[in-house]
Amino acid sequence: MKTRREFLRSTVLGASAAWTVPMFIERTFGQLHNASKDLAVQGVTGRDATILVVLQLAGGNDGLNTLVPFADDAYHKSRPRLAKKEKDIIRLSDYAGLNASMPFLGSMFREGNLGIVQGVGYPNPNRSHFVSTSIWETGDTNNRSATGWLGRYFDNACPGADPTVGISFNKTQPESFGAVKNPGVCLNSPELYRWIHGGGEQAQAEEFFAKLNQPDEADDTPPDGASIAMPGGGKTGGIPGEDNLAFLERVALDARVSSKTILELAAKHKTTVRYDGTPLARNLNLVSRMIAGGMPTRVYYVSHGGFDTHNQQINSHDRLLAQLDGALKSFFADLKEQGNDRRVVLMTFSEFGRRVAENASAGTDHGKASCLFIAGPGVKGGLHGKHPSLTDLAQGDLQHTVDFRSVYGSLLADWLKAPDLKPILGADYPKLEIIRS
Amino acid sequence: MLPKAENPWTLHEAAHLLNRAGFGGSPDEIRAFHSLGREKAVDSLLAPDEAPDAFPPPSWAREEQALADRRALNEQRREMRGAMSGLTPEEAENRRREFFQAMQRTERQHALEAQGWWFRRILNTRAPLREKMTLFWHDHFATSVQKVKEAVLIIRQNELFRRHAFGNFRELTQAIVVDPAMMIYLDTRDSRKGKPNENFAREVMELFTLGEGHYTEQDIREAARAFTGYDIDRLSGKTSHKRRQWDDGSKTVFGKTGAFEGRDIVALIFEQPQAARFMARKIWEFFVHENPSESVIDSLAGTFRQADYQMMPLLREIFLSREFHAATSIRSQIKCPVQYLVQLLKQLEISEPPTGLPITAGQQLGQVLFMPPNVAGWDWGKAWINTSTLLARYNLAGFLTKGADVGGMDVYGGKIKTPGMAPGPKLTGRFWQGPDYEKIAPRPLREEPEKLIDSLIFRFFQGPLPDKTRNSFIEYATAKKGVVFTNSETAELCHLMLSTPHYQLC
Repeated sequence: MKTRREFLRSTVLGASAAWTVPMFIERTFGQLHNASKDLAVQGVTGRDATILVVLQLAGGNDGLNTLVPFADDAYHKSRPRLAKKEKDIIRLSDYAGLNASMPFLGSMFREGNLGIVQGVGYPNPNRSHFVSTSIWETGDTNNRSATGWLGRYFDNACPGADPTVGISFNKTQPESFGAVKNPGVCLNSPELYRWIHGGGEQAQAEEFFAKLNQPDEADDTPPDGASIAMPGGGKTGGIPGEDNLAFLERVALDARVSSKTILELAAKHKTTVRYDGTPLARNLNLVSRMIAGGMPTRVYYVSHGGFDTHNQQINSHDRLLAQLDGALKSFFADLKEQGNDRRVVLMTFSEFGRRVAENASAGTDHGKASCLFIAGPGVKGGLHGKHPSLTDLAQGDLQHTVDFRSVYGSLLADWLKAPDLKPILGADYPKLEIIRS
Repeated sequence: MLPKAENPWTLHEAAHLLNRAGFGGSPDEIRAFHSLGREKAVDSLLAPDEAPDAFPPPSWAREEQALADRRALNEQRREMRGAMSGLTPEEAENRRREFFQAMQRTERQHALEAQGWWFRRILNTRAPLREKMTLFWHDHFATSVQKVKEAVLIIRQNELFRRHAFGNFRELTQAIVVDPAMMIYLDTRDSRKGKPNENFAREVMELFTLGEGHYTEQDIREAARAFTGYDIDRLSGKTSHKRRQWDDGSKTVFGKTGAFEGRDIVALIFEQPQAARFMARKIWEFFVHENPSESVIDSLAGTFRQADYQMMPLLREIFLSREFHAATSIRSQIKCPVQYLVQLLKQLEISEPPTGLPITAGQQLGQVLFMPPNVAGWDWGKAWINTSTLLARYNLAGFLTKGADVGGMDVYGGKIKTPGMAPGPKLTGRFWQGPDYEKIAPRPLREEPEKLIDSLIFRFFQGPLPDKTRNSFIEYATAKKGVVFTNSETAELCHLMLSTPHYQLC
């Protein structure tokens, strides 16, 4: 198993390159050395490992109009304008059904490949988008953690040190990727994911470029942390403790390491499946190309925004769910065609659900517990957890019946096969049977 | 008061002030700014000699024109309805759809023009701090044209920010309560007695004035009742307050009770000492560095409260302070994309950027004007940089310097679309002249690699670089000198200098 330092050295720097060690590599090296001795290490070897795709529904998805409790009178009473009638849904049980904008997810449910976890949330919920998103991304309900739940998975269970262990398709690195050693990379369009240089002597320019974009001599940052300027700031998936220059140098190096592989692999796969023109569909298409190309990536992260439906919700929310459904339909068809569908599980999440009662603008305000989807042939289909009561409310909101970290824990242990959840989630949470054994 | 920086000041300090309080400048501009001396330079930023209306917005944004356009649109709508009678339901539906699609196209075109207009203004203004504060307010009271959909309202909001650039924070907040673009963005337009919409009430406390943890959920629910009854006139785009839709009952907010309306809630918020601390921290982090010490915040918040929330004294104290000019502050901040682009254009002495640059580059780098990602504005600092955006910056520098042939830049102009927006105009790479390298790197200078590099380092970095980096540049320049040092080699050298982690800092 290569350490990050060895990995980087052999990948871009060449065995003979003389260079000294800046803070982040020193740390990685030191910690890995100790940690890897008795860790049941799990390889970051692409081809047959399992893959998790995390899909964020940004803005607070209205769980009650996603998984509709059509048989509950309280639902219809609270939402005279927004409630879905029984004939307008895809019936899943005597109590609940799926919003009819999601026919593909309906068929996936019937085939037993879609799990819906009901009533997911956390104690003392926060109704701020930003705080609650941070809580979901860090897995820390006190919102004090400087690292994310996926970043801790990369750090603690993926000692291959390859920065492409996690790839995000967001404009900014998600907070869940925040890590001490390896926060993954960000990708928007593979075609542009390289340094393009003109002129005659390509090789010469590239050599200088390489020199300028590798971490500088360890002139300023002793590895004991004495000169660490400031704690890791806010909502970035970076490495806490780096100053801005060390951070930039690390990202520049990660970009160089990952750019060649990503370009090569992305060009390999051409799909026959048609995707919609939405940003979500486009990004899932990229994910499928990465998977087809054999990237060693364990976690992909994509977002679908617009769920903050305070106003005239009906059409916009249905449309957002239809876009989700369409994108997932193409994505899973594509994976199936590649023969990779059994390797992929997709999880959706949103920072909170919405108030049970509708507001004056035919929309809904910020709420608490909501449902989420776990999709893929590896999933144990069906309804998981207990649907929260629509009458026993906390200030007008649903109370959670499942802690979101139970969902994380079950996926980490049963799907990603993380050997030890303690360093990732900090505590034990009851496991859900959402992965097929 | 914060301890003041001592005089005289260095050229590097002058460049630092121009970078942070504005968007940088060419070497000549920096030298002229330095010659003013520190105090006069700060005065010139706070009292610019440029009229606020020096850059007229696109004609459709003028009040009379907007009103006339709206009337014409209403007329067309009436005509369309009148012509419906003889049509089948299907034909009627098609007509309706065509009408709305045409309307949307116009709005998208307006949004693009608005973005280009403001970007060019930022680039060419002689009042750089006023534009920087306008950008600050735009990020602070973030509103996106993607939801508002009426560019004319966004431009009016932009002009409001410019008028209040160094003005009073409380008065600006009062104005924002009834700003049509914000009302649409945070749904106050539809908030009525009985079922108030909490969106604005929450964000005004959490994001605009106090910060998380300085109010209760009860405060929000009650305040939401006060922010009811506002309406926007469809024709004029002006705000009114409809007493009958306003919840006139008694509300309790921050422990005080009364039949409050929106204004009263804002007044109550600004009675909280936290309001001054909140803004003091945010403005310091915007202009200087993250995580200031408590004593800095204490001092600034004191100044701010004493000045009854006037921004001017607060800004003056920051820009004259020793900590602002300290070596640890200089080149410690990651440039936001607008800063990156404008500063680069100024350094390359380009006043007219290629068509489409503001939007396409903004999309690549993650900051499109008038389209912040959400009501919290953009995430700043390290959040601007990831492997994807860093490579995009390097390649954009290659395009602007002409140091790289990026295939006519079709990859930039052609493929990228923002949801809900018209495809951006193409960056016309083939016809892009690039900078004037005879001026930036005069031929005699190219004979002396060390001098050439030091001159370019001042132009691009305005301060010393580590020896290793400087030596790499010199080595490259020396290697080029041996062959022929034409403008394209100069362009390649500049592109290389800009494709570095160091260049991302200001």
